[in-house]
Amino acid sequence: MIEVRDLVYEYPNKRALDGVSLSVAPQTITALVGPNGAGKTTLLRCLAALEPPYSGTVLIDGLDTREAPRQIHARLGYLPDFYGLYDELTVRRVLTYAAWSHGLAPALASGAVEKAADRVGLVDRLETKAGELSRGLRQRLAIGQAIVHEPKVVLLDEPAAGLDPQARRDLSALLLQLRDAGMTLVVSSHILAELEDYCSVMIIVDDGRVVGGKPIKVRDDERPRYFLELATARSDLSGFLGAAGIDVIETGDHHALFTFTRNPSARAKLIRDLVKAGFDVASFAESTRALEDTYFAKVRDKAP
Amino acid sequence: MNPEFRRNVWLELSTRRIMTMTIVLLLAFFAAAVSRSDWLPPSVAITLYYFIVVFWGARNAALSVVGEIRDRTWDFQRLSALGAAEMTWGKLFGSTIYNWYGGAICLVVIVAYRVVHAGPEAGLISLVFYIVAGLIAQSAALLASLIAAMRRQRHTQLEVFAYQMTGLLTALLAIWVWNAADPAGSLITRIHAAEIIPWWGQSFDARAFLLVSLALFAGWLLLGCYRAMRLELKMPNGPFVWLAFLVFMGVYVAGFDAWLPKNGSINVRDAVALRLALAGTTFAILTYVMVLLEPKDRVLYRWMGAEFLKGRLGRVAYVMQGWMMSCKAAFIVGICLIAWLLHEDAAPAAAVIGAALGFLLRDVAIFVLLQTLPGPRRGDFAAVVTLFALYVLAPAIADGLGLTQALVLFYPQPWIPAWQSPATAWAEALIVVVLVVSRLASGARRAAAAV
Repeated sequence: MIEVRDLVYEYPNKRALDGVSLSVAPQTITALVGPNGAGKTTLLRCLAALEPPYSGTVLIDGLDTREAPRQIHARLGYLPDFYGLYDELTVRRVLTYAAWSHGLAPALASGAVEKAADRVGLVDRLETKAGELSRGLRQRLAIGQAIVHEPKVVLLDEPAAGLDPQARRDLSALLLQLRDAGMTLVVSSHILAELEDYCSVMIIVDDGRVVGGKPIKVRDDERPRYFLELATARSDLSGFLGAAGIDVIETGDHHALFTFTRNPSARAKLIRDLVKAGFDVASFAESTRALEDTYFAKVRDKAP
Repeated sequence: MNPEFRRNVWLELSTRRIMTMTIVLLLAFFAAAVSRSDWLPPSVAITLYYFIVVFWGARNAALSVVGEIRDRTWDFQRLSALGAAEMTWGKLFGSTIYNWYGGAICLVVIVAYRVVHAGPEAGLISLVFYIVAGLIAQSAALLASLIAAMRRQRHTQLEVFAYQMTGLLTALLAIWVWNAADPAGSLITRIHAAEIIPWWGQSFDARAFLLVSLALFAGWLLLGCYRAMRLELKMPNGPFVWLAFLVFMGVYVAGFDAWLPKNGSINVRDAVALRLALAGTTFAILTYVMVLLEPKDRVLYRWMGAEFLKGRLGRVAYVMQGWMMSCKAAFIVGICLIAWLLHEDAAPAAAVIGAALGFLLRDVAIFVLLQTLPGPRRGDFAAVVTLFALYVLAPAIADGLGLTQALVLFYPQPWIPAWQSPATAWAEALIVVVLVVSRLASGARRAAAAV
């Protein structure tokens, strides 16, 4: 759905993106992470055809951002990190304007408005002025604006910034719902914990480059990540797991992070083998911090 | 209906606002009718029309883009599926719909008075003139705000006022020009009303000629808004419309026969040379205006340089800015003029034109050079100050010290030997151009290194 090849973007005194190449599959949620100033927002704006590349190509749904920016805009929903709303208009009119301006016929627009309001939980506030909404509700309305025309691709820049825990949970559920409805989402954030709930692929951007050169799969329902903890330190843990053909992500004397099959019998056998080999297993569980673990592992690898 | 126009109607036209405007205007006309002063309802209507449509309307037109940027809704609009034409007219007429409503009430009074006292033709001419004047003010203000958006300015209240003033001054210029042909207006401006305008050897009725001219310039302004909007929506423009505008301006300005006998500043032998000089001067003025207004995007210039070196001249030509094309047009006309003057044995005049072209190149290179220097982005202001120093301060000092020979460094001079003035100007231009190219090249290296 998204193809980026050798993307270079320059500011007058700095190259913000330097040869970025990546590919995003349809109907996925991709996390775009990295430190402040790494180039995440610039990359999102290039994907949104708001900034033309210095060189390289960006294809959205097969269309080149340089050649067909308006066709891409019609297929796209974008929530910038700092956004505004038409405070004097009601929620219904804000969404209606968004639907019309994205090319929806008036006959279809009212249905699309109701659907978007329902998705973001604003059905009971359709006649409320946008300026009278709370911060969390404004965020929902902004997302509603971005998705009212059922875009193929949705780009969200720091969508959970400033939201309370309940609103963040609702946001996660909404993003998964949008993915299941066929949309492809790219979510930029530097709060890794919030991405954990819904992202399956991660792109780490640092110093204008994609760390590791490609997107990283962080969630695999067939082969999830497991965290093993030992009560007693063993320096041969890594070697043991490697010899058993296990795809190790990270190890130490007391712990290991690796991918392994979800099959219960295979997991039981692995625990038996570990105990039999004299490893003092304290815990063995699916990692709930897959994205964060991968991020720091990759960033450590990159460090000189 | 255009969604942008509809959104503006939602915001601007509430029943209460419509009632307020109607009542206030009717009361103003009634007060004028019953008062014993010289203010009659038509005079009040004209004053109110200028205030509501020209002054206030220009502000609303400027805010239609600047307000979106300030309220952080501009990116959302840029990401909509609306075309540049839809967006332009939706903003221009939508944001000013309330002003046009008030203006329409005033126009009824103005046109009715003209029809009764001067006939239907005068009424129709007044109607067209007032609508065009409002359109010119509003589209000039919108264009100014779009150019500012391209330059990524901050959009303070003061800047919004500046865009509004741009619209207002453009409209005042149009009104001033129009009054030159209007017997009643000429009393106000103290300019003798012209009855005919000689143009390219033909005589035209002054009112018809100026009305058509104003309508054409209003059309170019609207086209300018549309093209600026295309750039904001990331749609490439291509060079052809600007080239057409240059041809139009060259033909239009060079056609005024009234200027022919008055000009004696250069040694012009005949009408051909003067017409070429007028067209070339027009292009040079447009070059200065555009190099001041357009963003001097170092990244774009680096990209153009790289494409040029790869031999992709078509791609370079496609993204050329207005000042580049205007400068090229000035050079083409200037070279034709030099050839003509040499053919006419007017070498000193040809040398002056050659020097003027050198100074033009030097000046635009100064604008670009000062934009490539490190520090806060005040390049345009620094360039204007530099040119003021080069054209006013330094010559005044040189003259005061009796160094009249040094004036050749600052102005085109028809001195003997004739080559001295152009040689000096082109040497200065060459130095600044080399500095610009080296700054852009080193900037590219630094940017690549500072990832």
